[in-house]
Amino acid sequence: MASLLHPDRVLYLVRGQKRIRAPLSQLYFCRYCSELRSLECVSHEVDSHYCPSCLENMPSAEAKLKKNRCANCFDCPCCMHTLSTRATNIPAPLPDDPTKTTMKKAYYLACGFCRWTSRDVGMADKSVASGGWQEPENPHGQRISKLIEYYQQLAHREKQERDRKKLARRRQCMPLAFSQHTIHVVEKYGLGTRLHRQRPGAPIASLTGLSLKEGEDQKEVTIEPAQALDEVEPLPEDCYSRPVSLPEVTTLRQRLLQPDFQPAGASQLHPRHKHLLMKRSLRCRKCEHNLSKPEFNPTSIKFKIQLVAVSYIPEVRIMSIPNLRYMKESQVLLTLTNPVENITHVTLAVCEDDDPDDVNSTSKVLVPSKELVLAGKDAAAEYDELAEPQDFQDDPDIVAFRKSNKIGFFIKVVPLKEEDTDVTVSFRMRHDFRNLAAPIRPSEEGGDAAHEAVWLTHHVELRLGPLAP
Amino acid sequence: LLDFLFLYELRFSAKIAAGAVVCVESEIRGDVTIGARTVVHPKARIIAEAGPIIIGEGNLIEEQALIINSYPENIMPDSEGVEPKTMIIGTNNVFEVGCVSQALKIGDNNVIESKADVGRNVILTSGCIVGACCQVNTCEVVPENTVVYGSSCIRRVQSEKPQPQTLQLDFLMKILPNYHHLKKTVKGSGTPLRN
Repeated sequence: MASLLHPDRVLYLVRGQKRIRAPLSQLYFCRYCSELRSLECVSHEVDSHYCPSCLENMPSAEAKLKKNRCANCFDCPCCMHTLSTRATNIPAPLPDDPTKTTMKKAYYLACGFCRWTSRDVGMADKSVASGGWQEPENPHGQRISKLIEYYQQLAHREKQERDRKKLARRRQCMPLAFSQHTIHVVEKYGLGTRLHRQRPGAPIASLTGLSLKEGEDQKEVTIEPAQALDEVEPLPEDCYSRPVSLPEVTTLRQRLLQPDFQPAGASQLHPRHKHLLMKRSLRCRKCEHNLSKPEFNPTSIKFKIQLVAVSYIPEVRIMSIPNLRYMKESQVLLTLTNPVENITHVTLAVCEDDDPDDVNSTSKVLVPSKELVLAGKDAAAEYDELAEPQDFQDDPDIVAFRKSNKIGFFIKVVPLKEEDTDVTVSFRMRHDFRNLAAPIRPSEEGGDAAHEAVWLTHHVELRLGPLAP
Repeated sequence: LLDFLFLYELRFSAKIAAGAVVCVESEIRGDVTIGARTVVHPKARIIAEAGPIIIGEGNLIEEQALIINSYPENIMPDSEGVEPKTMIIGTNNVFEVGCVSQALKIGDNNVIESKADVGRNVILTSGCIVGACCQVNTCEVVPENTVVYGSSCIRRVQSEKPQPQTLQLDFLMKILPNYHHLKKTVKGSGTPLRN
């Protein structure tokens, strides 16, 4: 049953600021802190911007200038698919001889999915394949930018006054020499990130009271206040009686994707430039190490640093479930896969009665008490015919099968709740982890010191499905 | 009655006009008339079960397309009062790969995209495009220049009809005979030849 392999069936608990339960494929593992991390306990940083259709890279400053949109690619305003440029041959008069006509190429934009073309909104065909298409200008653009300028200046001025007041107050209690020194130091650092500002006792932000140059150069920006009109344009007379022609009305989604215009009629839907996507890198919040760093090139899907949990933590998967009946013990077959290359020892334990993490389980579970040994992952194993099969003494009651780095084992489940919800099972998994990233300290005897094994414990929850009817 | 239907199917064979390119590997059953400049790819199926099919000129019927004039589901083939209804398909239509068309009346310049399903009670006028994997099985006349697209079969009206596939038809009429045997066409007004 393929639904048993669905990633949502087996959840691992992440103990961060929030307790998050997520499948192992969506988690990261910080090998410096030796802990699981989820997307909510890491900090996301933007690496680079790129266009998803032409895969063109763009530095962040340029992206900000172009409002995070690609210069070459367009989106269909009707179905949001990418528009393609098509060419037709139109007869056009030769410049030298107006009587003769020659075939000239005319380009128009067309959507392959909903068959929208740029001719539908009245955009004329262009004679160049790319670069001829312009987005319509926002009619309120000028007023908005003027307002923004005015308010930016106002904010700057208010900040200046506030700083001057603070400095004046402090100057009374501090000797002059000392205050000049702090001002000097502060100007070098200025208004840093939020962290700097919140540190207690930090000196105040950059003081522009001393640098009068900036204040003088700024022109005063004045704006006219918005005028309220008494007369509003009346509604058309047939507003309530005219039947609506559905093909001509835009949907809400189409309308809101163009917040500048929000056209109500489909004949005013102009194509917009395509949004850029970004590549992001993830960083552990505790130790500030990078957990995931993609390649810079948009065409490459590889990672420079990829500390995903699946390559460090053994993965539990459900293999087969018998019919589960209320208060009857059944055997469930699970598999454990070892992602690392050395032998891993795994011990399973039942959650205690007062375990604060054990909130979701609806059944009692009996796990094998003996330690399970997993062989290392050997990439060349399938080609190596002469390799001797490793001899692990497996108890057939516990271990169902063993295949290279994977074993199948049984657990016994007794569903305790008769409701209609899924039967969930949770247990704790303890395994040894060798941190190959940390440098090996040479031992005093001069012998080969192996990496120290750290024992990690994870809380695993399985969703086994509903009770059998 | 069963004998009559059996003979009915045997007596009629495909009447293929001169200029049409119909590959031998296509399956044509029943009383089917195919117009000039129509290309029928191998593995296309045109089945006239419950009545004749008349296909116009310049149509492009691609592989695994199924054009079938079948009995409606709740009527048994040998019940009384079942009149054979003719399925009429106009000119310059495109039936893309894997589509199923049971519509009794199709106009001109329509495109039925891959894996689309058009029901028996639909009447396509002209310039309609039924998108890939869309199922149109309502009982209606689809207005001109309508595009049905998307997983929820939303519709919109386009401003001009789709271009006729003349270039593609010319290319296929040149290339297909090099690689496939063709079914015999009717020359002039002679008796129809058997497949």
